[in-house]
Amino acid sequence: MSDPVTVRVTVNGVAHTGRCEPRKLLVDFLREDLGLTGTHVGCEHGVCGACTILFNGEAARSCIMLAVQADGAELLTIEGLMQDGRLHPLQEAFREHHGLQCGFCTPGMLLTALDLLRTNPSPTEDEIREGVSAVLCRCTGYHGIIKAVEAAAQKMR
Amino acid sequence: MKPVSFDYHAPASLEAAVALLQRYGGEAKVLAGGQSLMPLLNFRLSRPAALVDLGRIPGLAYIEEGDGQVRLGAMTRQRTIEFSPVVARRLPLLGEATKWVGHLPIRTRGTIGGSIAHADPSAEYPAVLTALGGAVVARGPKGERVVQAKDLFVTYLTTSLEPDEVLAEVRLPAMDPAAGFALEEFARRRGDFAIVAIAAMVVRDGARCAQARLATAGAGPVPVRLSAAEEILERDGLTDAAIAAAARRAAELVSPDSDLHASADYRRHLTEVLTRRALTRAIRGARV
Amino acid sequence: MTLIGAPVRRVEDGRLLRGQGRYVGDLTLPRTLHVAFLRSPYAHARIVSIDSRRARELPDVSACVTGDELAPHARPLRSESRMTGYRATEFPPLARGKVRFAGEAVVAVLAESRYVAEDAVEVIQVRYDTLPVVATPEAAMAAGAELVHDAAGSNVLLSRAFVQGDADAAMKTAALIVADRFRVHRHAGVTLENRACLAHWNAGTAELTLWSSTQVPGLLREALADLLDLPVHRLRVVAPDVGGGFGVKSALYPEEVAVCALARLTGRPVKWVGDRREDLLTSTQAWDETIDAELALNADGTIAGLRARAVADVGAYSIYPWTASIEVIQVISFLPGPYRVPHYRGEGWGVATNKAPMGPYRGVGRPVSTFVTEALVDRAARRLGIDPVELRLRNLLRPDELPYRSPSGLVWDSGSFVESLERAHEVLDYARVRAEQRRARDAGRYVGVGVASYVELTGVGSAISASPGAAINTGTEGATIRVDPGGTVTASFGLACHGQGHETTLAQVVAEELGARLEAVRVIHGDTAASPSGTGTYASRSAVIGGGAAILAARALKTKALAIAAHLLEVSAGDLTLADGRATVRGAPDRALTLRAIAQAAYGGAKRLPNGMEPGLEATRFYDPYFGTASNATHVAVVEVDPETCAVTVRRFVVVEDCGRIINPLIVEGQAIGAVAQGIGAALLEEIVYGEDGQLLTGSLMDYLVPTAAEVPAIEVVHLERPSPTTLGGFKGVGEGGTIGAPAAIANAIADALAPLGVEITELPVTPERLFRLIARARQTER
Repeated sequence: MSDPVTVRVTVNGVAHTGRCEPRKLLVDFLREDLGLTGTHVGCEHGVCGACTILFNGEAARSCIMLAVQADGAELLTIEGLMQDGRLHPLQEAFREHHGLQCGFCTPGMLLTALDLLRTNPSPTEDEIREGVSAVLCRCTGYHGIIKAVEAAAQKMR
Repeated sequence: MKPVSFDYHAPASLEAAVALLQRYGGEAKVLAGGQSLMPLLNFRLSRPAALVDLGRIPGLAYIEEGDGQVRLGAMTRQRTIEFSPVVARRLPLLGEATKWVGHLPIRTRGTIGGSIAHADPSAEYPAVLTALGGAVVARGPKGERVVQAKDLFVTYLTTSLEPDEVLAEVRLPAMDPAAGFALEEFARRRGDFAIVAIAAMVVRDGARCAQARLATAGAGPVPVRLSAAEEILERDGLTDAAIAAAARRAAELVSPDSDLHASADYRRHLTEVLTRRALTRAIRGARV
Repeated sequence: MTLIGAPVRRVEDGRLLRGQGRYVGDLTLPRTLHVAFLRSPYAHARIVSIDSRRARELPDVSACVTGDELAPHARPLRSESRMTGYRATEFPPLARGKVRFAGEAVVAVLAESRYVAEDAVEVIQVRYDTLPVVATPEAAMAAGAELVHDAAGSNVLLSRAFVQGDADAAMKTAALIVADRFRVHRHAGVTLENRACLAHWNAGTAELTLWSSTQVPGLLREALADLLDLPVHRLRVVAPDVGGGFGVKSALYPEEVAVCALARLTGRPVKWVGDRREDLLTSTQAWDETIDAELALNADGTIAGLRARAVADVGAYSIYPWTASIEVIQVISFLPGPYRVPHYRGEGWGVATNKAPMGPYRGVGRPVSTFVTEALVDRAARRLGIDPVELRLRNLLRPDELPYRSPSGLVWDSGSFVESLERAHEVLDYARVRAEQRRARDAGRYVGVGVASYVELTGVGSAISASPGAAINTGTEGATIRVDPGGTVTASFGLACHGQGHETTLAQVVAEELGARLEAVRVIHGDTAASPSGTGTYASRSAVIGGGAAILAARALKTKALAIAAHLLEVSAGDLTLADGRATVRGAPDRALTLRAIAQAAYGGAKRLPNGMEPGLEATRFYDPYFGTASNATHVAVVEVDPETCAVTVRRFVVVEDCGRIINPLIVEGQAIGAVAQGIGAALLEEIVYGEDGQLLTGSLMDYLVPTAAEVPAIEVVHLERPSPTTLGGFKGVGEGGTIGAPAAIANAIADALAPLGVEITELPVTPERLFRLIARARQTER
């Protein structure tokens, strides 16, 4: 077994320091070491997108990153999406438009949509479909998700 | 699906990275963006003794133009390339290809150096490198060497780089501003690796074809430069008949394999169809 | 506006949107041991020896347990059926003697972390003697075939036939027979959350608690009590937030048995969180059937008879409690569809092979039966030169013919078969789409329209059983509703929600029927310690059976609350209304009591209650719809096929569905659309592939392709809402339907698009590779 490494990371504005094996996946570090279980594990090979977080402001899959790669980084997870105790417009819109059922893909979907709207604040329906095609949802058929991202985009502009 | 235990090194320089690779004698893996390597680690299909992470080496992410070429640092993220004005102006084919690379959260992490060094024959960047006749700079114990695209790809997931060499830079000849270009891809789903993709660039001289560049993804163990098809256009011009002849020739030039998603016959057929489509679109976009 | 029928925003979303959901993987207990299973690399082999010494010596490894070592602590799963022609087989929690599919669990490793457990798995030495692999039903049925289960004496685990009239005679006198061999490949449900479970043994109280990502906590409790030799009341099964089920999580799995036994054995909490590789290797799969079917028609286009033989590859084990029969029996049971079929013979066989077990998946059998029947109907329409919609209208059962006993003995209590087709025709603007199709064809483009009509039985009561012959009752469900002294309401159910929004919809039913405020009602589900006995959520039953139980319990409670209020207000109960949490005297709105005041009286003792009334304000009621109720829909797909790349694009998709009285239109729409998306995957993308050696070739989500947002179009849904005449509340089930209609509609649309080439679709999924071959063959024939 390899020597443990130290990981200093800011998650949702809070600084954390942890020790783990170099092979520890970032998603496992968030869930097990920091207790932030809102980020989900769906495939561990970078396809389903359930584990998507913001890594230094950009959407990234935490199941195909090592915790040690995040040393010094700023992360945003689903637990940090609310602003001033209120739901983020994306969260509001997902609720309003029935953009979730079982909720398992939802954290990854929300953070992917957040990055999509950051670089493209007025996406077309096709652009939204392409953007969120990064995350698999098995429940909704994506209908409510597309409508929610459209609505949130309008509100966030 | 957890990786095997390994040592982890984040060297501060390429020299140090090379030294580490030497020290592990082929048992270490270079970690760039990790978007292909990490799944292999999680499946335990890749079992390195150590990872050498290029992520902490300063100055490996850049896009610079000069001397008729564009140089991209190995750690330049695909997302950076997607939004780069230099790429949009000088390498629009690379820009178009980037939109086909995985998904948004893959492109934020994935790098051009990693994608090319991984040498997945279905990936878009190796096809663009091959079509444009680019090269990579490898840094090894004896210093730097330049490896041309045609000499780089050996077979599936294998390049001619030595185990103690690091891909440091990608060099692509800047495209003629008048060139037309297209990347036509067929994949099972949005964001999947190509079943077949064709990268095309055409420079027109009136009805003549001054220069044609064609390369494949997904049509064999390595990207294939379709030189004999290019020659048809450069000889016969840009007529529909020449395009069709070039596309038919393209299908003859490839030796695809069969896998779960597509047979060799179907891939060969797609090579013809997509070559024709890519050429048609590239020609339409080329300034006379 | 009444609460039932209102688009209430979901209660569940509050926690799920903030990352505050609690799935099994999120739960931790002190001293938890993590399990990794050593899984067989071979599809069929004898286990010669297992040497775990090196693994046990690794730091942080606690134990390595084999099948033989676990056997004294847990019996094998055995799925019984009353069906004649059924052979029961045993499924051990860890393999003993031999392995029957690649991925079967052989050794359980318990360690301080999953990482270490996986390291240990790699150093365990198992010697196998490989056996011939039974790779297909054909091979399995051949004389002298290797047996998957020696004790069964045959690889044919079941056979059954449904017969009505004389289908053979009908074939002889028919004006037209259309027939073909249809093949529907293996499918995986792919819940986003992989299966997972966590068991805790409390030695002090001799109680076992299992948290599992399951649809059926009640079923699990009864079954585990038996397998582990525990009294049922010493077992608690909790399904916390569950990340999708789709039928895949409706069986008892060997991992659940193993984890419970290991927790008892080690005295420590034991947790297994399946990864995606394990999910694709071991979760129940679906379909994998070959159906030879013949449809006979009279000259006027009416159906004269239907004959079919269906052979299913059921994999290596019969799953508990549904048995290996669940899929193929549904196929032959539902082949006649919503049509008038006077003569029918449907025969089915379930054949064991060395693959992962077959189980129920959303739609169970009916996606396959609908594909076959609807393909034949379309083919008949082409042969007769009758428009496919018109041909359907001539054969669909009309309202005046209902109730109708289907050729396989199912009863359609009601239905809007004709109306749903007519409405779909209208919503699509069928004539315009056909005109566009002609124009496209003239321009060399291949656009097609495909229709599929189906009927399903939902909310299945005890007379039928959700799985024919299975030795369990799936026809009843209970509800306990309690108004506490604070006036808030808790309604608990044996159901187990995994995305359907029961906390919202059942609260709507309870609030409306009881007269409580919606916000005052809290729904609890998925916890056997907190609910009346029940089985769980599957087979489109929760709205019908759970909703019915909720109505009965709420009504009982309302009667009592009104009696108490009447006593306190000194009026007769008939003069009171209870709504919005207040009992009010009719015509005197100032004379009122809140539900809270009524509840305080109810718990306050006899002196505040009517003479002889028992204190307290809670009720438990059970409901059994006995037969169940028919739910139906028509789907129409418009697709475009690129004949060069063989890409299929779904341009439009229209659903006209009738799920009876709607509790929450948002949720009904979400179920319908989500199910159609799965149907699109089934039609075009998703296929489990095994090699001839029994190795799974689609072991990742790079190879098993689930549709993304880019492959699913905007889906138009129209609700007909014709209340069921036979269920309490008029509800019908809606959870599965979309998956039933979509593959057939898309397959028909592709065949329609390629009709100029004479291409027929007989195989699902319609992959580009298959289309490439079909088109190439058609063009060759043309020449």
